[in-house]
Amino acid sequence: MNLSYPPTRADRDLYPALMSIEESENFPRDHKSFVRIDTSLRVYWHTLFDICPDLLTLSGPDGMAIFRPFMAWAARRRLAFDWSFYLWVYVWLQESEFRDRLDRDGLLQTIMGASAARWAILDRSKDCGIVIGCADTSDLVVGWKCHSIRGGRQIELIEPEEALPPPANTFGYFTQPDFELGGFPGWQGLSR
Amino acid sequence: MRIGLNFTLGDTYDMVKRLLAEGHIDYCEFLIDNFFCVDPAEIAGAFDCPVGFHVMYSRFLESDEATLVEFAKRLRDYIDAADPIYVSDHILRFSHDGRQFFHLGEIDYFAEYDFVRDRALRWQELVGQKIHFENYPSIMDGGLEAPRFFERLIDDTGAGVLFDASNAICSHRNCGTPLESWRRVIGSAEHFHVAGYRQSLIEPYIALDTHAEALAADTLSFLRDYRSVFDKSGATITYERDDEIEFDAIVEDLKEIRKIFAEPMEGHRNELVLSAHES
Repeated sequence: MNLSYPPTRADRDLYPALMSIEESENFPRDHKSFVRIDTSLRVYWHTLFDICPDLLTLSGPDGMAIFRPFMAWAARRRLAFDWSFYLWVYVWLQESEFRDRLDRDGLLQTIMGASAARWAILDRSKDCGIVIGCADTSDLVVGWKCHSIRGGRQIELIEPEEALPPPANTFGYFTQPDFELGGFPGWQGLSR
Repeated sequence: MRIGLNFTLGDTYDMVKRLLAEGHIDYCEFLIDNFFCVDPAEIAGAFDCPVGFHVMYSRFLESDEATLVEFAKRLRDYIDAADPIYVSDHILRFSHDGRQFFHLGEIDYFAEYDFVRDRALRWQELVGQKIHFENYPSIMDGGLEAPRFFERLIDDTGAGVLFDASNAICSHRNCGTPLESWRRVIGSAEHFHVAGYRQSLIEPYIALDTHAEALAADTLSFLRDYRSVFDKSGATITYERDDEIEFDAIVEDLKEIRKIFAEPMEGHRNELVLSAHES
């Protein structure tokens, strides 16, 4: 009997490893536990790089120069991986070896748009929209939930005539209770 | 058997209308919480057919009471407006230790039964009606305990099972859960799902519930062999397609399903299946 890796009767035995590249390496590659974990990790990978393919230009085609250290960093910070997943990637990039190679405008728009879209499809509160701001740009990205049977979520880039004050940290957001932009209520910081 | 299609986002609206007009489907299943900001009256009048409601993100095993109360209130607005054939939900894990899974987790059917039973009772109470819970496409061996879990849940809570036939095939391929072990669950279920799956990219291969391919031969065989247990008055089967959405390919699969359930329910094999079910 091989007891060099954790016993895995049920999926629940693998929960701590499903978002951890490091923990995946505790499992033998010829066991379906490893494939289960690999399948889970691939979804995080595709969620990031399918939506933000420019990151592959930075990292190389397998993405691992970004994916592996980001996932480890996120694990140490116990990030929730909610709608703000992409924003935290940008925060990590700013602290990484890639910080001087970032196309700040283009990548920022993609990152903020991706997170706004993720909020619009996953959030189940009564809020109708989200506004995301960044200390690195005066542009705002707005995400709207689907509000018509024929429609879908909508993402807008807004260049306000009068810039809002920057959020205290890299990113901030506020939500909209209706399908129209209201006043500025102040920034909320990203939750972990 | 009524045959339907899942409707998750508005960009397949015209395709669903065409499938209805051409008689390929009989009803439409809404992933209803994707449409919580659409007027309930618009949902009710969207398609000229009955509707089913499938809930994705109630997270009823994990959400706090206030969140669930609010979710149920919003869901009831749509139930009242559209009078769906059924309301269904998922028994699975969306997170662990406060961190979100992007490929959702299966529960431990043995260790978590009492907890899930109590949550299912409470969730049905809040929604105000029977909820049909979907089986997971098991990968790990704990999936062997799923059929007995659902039998107990039906008995103890009055809940239904939205039996996903292709998920049962995945479970059979991945952890050996016998298709026969689902017989009682299938016999009591009125509402079904079916979709394509694919194998993992690396070995040892596992079957993954992807909703992006044509129906597999073993899935169709399962429906055919157990047809007398699936088919019953008022039953529905929803074909799920969430990627590689091509009209002609979807029509081909819908025709395969209709062919199975349109065939006369006669013949030695089906008589055997029926008599085994009744014994």
